[in-house]
Amino acid sequence: MKALSIALKDIRLALQDPGTWVSLFLLPLLFIFIFSGGLGALAGENGDEETGAAQMALPVVNRDEERELSQALLGRLEASGAVVLQPLTQAEADQRLDTQEIYHVLVIPEEFTASFAAGIPSEVRLINHLSADAGTTEALRLAVDGAVQDLVLEEQLVASLEQMGAMQGASVPEQAFSTERIVAQAESQFVRAQTQPLVTVSRVDPGQSGEEVRETSFLGVQVFVPGFAVLFIFLAAQTTARSIYDEKKEGTFRRLLAGPIGKSSLLAGKLLPNLILALIQFAVIFAVAIFILPLVGLDRLNLGNDPLALILLCVLVALCSTTLGILIAAVARTENQIGGISTVVIWGAGILGGAMIPTFLISDLLDKIGRVVPHYWAVDGFYELLVLGGGLADIALPLAALAAFTLLFFAAGVWRFDYR
Amino acid sequence: MPAILEVEHLVKKYGDFAAVNDISFSVEEGEVFGLLGPNGAGKTQTISMLTGIVEPTGGTARIGGHDIERQLKETKQISGLVPQELALYPTLSARANLDFFGRIYGLRGRTLKERVDDVLQIVALTDRADEPVENYSGGMKRRVNIAAGLVHQPKLLFLDEPTVGVDPQSRNHIFESVLKLNRDRGMSIIYTSHYMEEVELLCNRVAIIDRGRIIALDTIRNLMAILGGGILQVGVPTVTRQLLRELTALPAVEEACPGDPAVAVAEESNGEPEPETQTIKIMTRDSQYALVNVIGYLNERDIPITSLTILEPNLETVFLHLTGKKLRE
Repeated sequence: MKALSIALKDIRLALQDPGTWVSLFLLPLLFIFIFSGGLGALAGENGDEETGAAQMALPVVNRDEERELSQALLGRLEASGAVVLQPLTQAEADQRLDTQEIYHVLVIPEEFTASFAAGIPSEVRLINHLSADAGTTEALRLAVDGAVQDLVLEEQLVASLEQMGAMQGASVPEQAFSTERIVAQAESQFVRAQTQPLVTVSRVDPGQSGEEVRETSFLGVQVFVPGFAVLFIFLAAQTTARSIYDEKKEGTFRRLLAGPIGKSSLLAGKLLPNLILALIQFAVIFAVAIFILPLVGLDRLNLGNDPLALILLCVLVALCSTTLGILIAAVARTENQIGGISTVVIWGAGILGGAMIPTFLISDLLDKIGRVVPHYWAVDGFYELLVLGGGLADIALPLAALAAFTLLFFAAGVWRFDYR
Repeated sequence: MPAILEVEHLVKKYGDFAAVNDISFSVEEGEVFGLLGPNGAGKTQTISMLTGIVEPTGGTARIGGHDIERQLKETKQISGLVPQELALYPTLSARANLDFFGRIYGLRGRTLKERVDDVLQIVALTDRADEPVENYSGGMKRRVNIAAGLVHQPKLLFLDEPTVGVDPQSRNHIFESVLKLNRDRGMSIIYTSHYMEEVELLCNRVAIIDRGRIIALDTIRNLMAILGGGILQVGVPTVTRQLLRELTALPAVEEACPGDPAVAVAEESNGEPEPETQTIKIMTRDSQYALVNVIGYLNERDIPITSLTILEPNLETVFLHLTGKKLRE
């Protein structure tokens, strides 16, 4: 109860401080908005070729000879209301891209329909100019991606059902397709469309790397939201450290030590507020990503398929951050040292651990080095849950690593902690 | 009166440095006991051990019969600390601070509310209890600081330099509160200070502490009696043993000795002028009468008086007498 009294007092003090609101909620959300393309979406056209608040101009070079499937795709794109198509020839598109009259062009390959009919995978290319707005690029990619996926799935399902219909006509009644078999076939087609798509969308950014960037399933919001949540929740470790330092500086720590409260309860009382605030921070960031980001034209955060695993991961990340705060409080002797350690260690570890940009996108080496910091495992866990749709079993290693870091920080912090 | 606090051979060492070096004393129930000494003498370290903030290196102490190491929880429950610092949360109100510290002592509900109201009344802050402490004057903050040590109604209260940085009006208010707590509620108080006037005003008995050791412990009257009627400090060109003997023989003089014990004293003057004057410390039975005799004696022998200080008997003088240095050095 005494630890709880300390915790409630600390939460009250923290929430009285405007700095807490800024560092716990405002800054992470700001970073998320910026890095998830929020600025692009909010800033509007920015020299780009959008035609309205909700619709974007999309120049198209349709090189498909048979045109049947490509027209269906373009029809879907227009029907979505997200884009206004501008048909161009390849030469016109190249020239307008060069002169920056347009910033994006969708290129449908020559044997698009034929390849699909033959079951051969083909590729739709979204070419973006170097100075294209990132938010618009992302929005166009999502629109094209969605239309392609829907079309492919529909085509595959229809083809499959037609095949089944033909087989049904030729079969004896006992061998006829039951409802269950039809559903199973549809599900199988759906999975196949997801895992082995016949059409993929690739993004080309000429002048940036000269290489094609193949879109994988990690979307901006799914990566940046948990990444920045991890970064800022670990940054909150300095709140714990500063709270302990302030208590010592003001003399209240000494007064508490003179009271009938054990040292373990006192430490627990100092740990608990950060843990609670970190969990609130997760909840607020995720809630904003689910409910607010879509309102400004960004993706809605998908919390994956295993809420229990997600909660467990959040709690462990919050706990790890809190114990890191105890360690910082134990090591730092001055307020400046707390600030210095927090800046160097927590920001450094955040970058190294891929909280800002996933390490595997940068280099294999960084991906290996990043494992020495808890941020890496936290980001890895969220990636597994939110991007790859994994479950508790898939994040066993990140959870174990975070638990190990938590124990290490706590043991080292308590060992070095100076109660005087 | 039974003892509320018994301290036996208490020691606190940091490496080879003894912050508190083998001190023993006891405090009776209902007594206001003073710990007087300069900064760094070991007063706060002593209190820190007695309140369980730091562990003693050696020795024992009991509060209300409970051992401070083996029964720490019990000793903490019956003792209260008012630390030297303003140990408060500035953004919280006085009431919220007191409520919080009351909870740490296990108080809840109506009892807690009544205790908070009670201590606010003691320190006369009821009407401003809901303002943030950071808005208070220095003296008001000090009063809340005291209230926070009283909220659980301790039997023994440690007041560690409670008037540092306080204006005279608030200082008087603090004195009144201390005396009232002792008189009306029978609270035993250990009051540390390096202001001898405060200790003289408030305390029944005083331990004078210097460099971690208690160098004198008695009632204020008995401590002052060490000095008799006061001390004269007389500057002369040369201090000789003969001069000291003759001064000691004067009426109303108790004893004359070198002001600086480190200076070698010759039997007789060799007639050579000394490069610096020396000081004689003269303990008197009556400082005024002795002064007349000393001046007359030195004039008769044409010994020039280069300086003259009359030290009235008080704790400052006692400390100076015992240690050769001032309390606030």
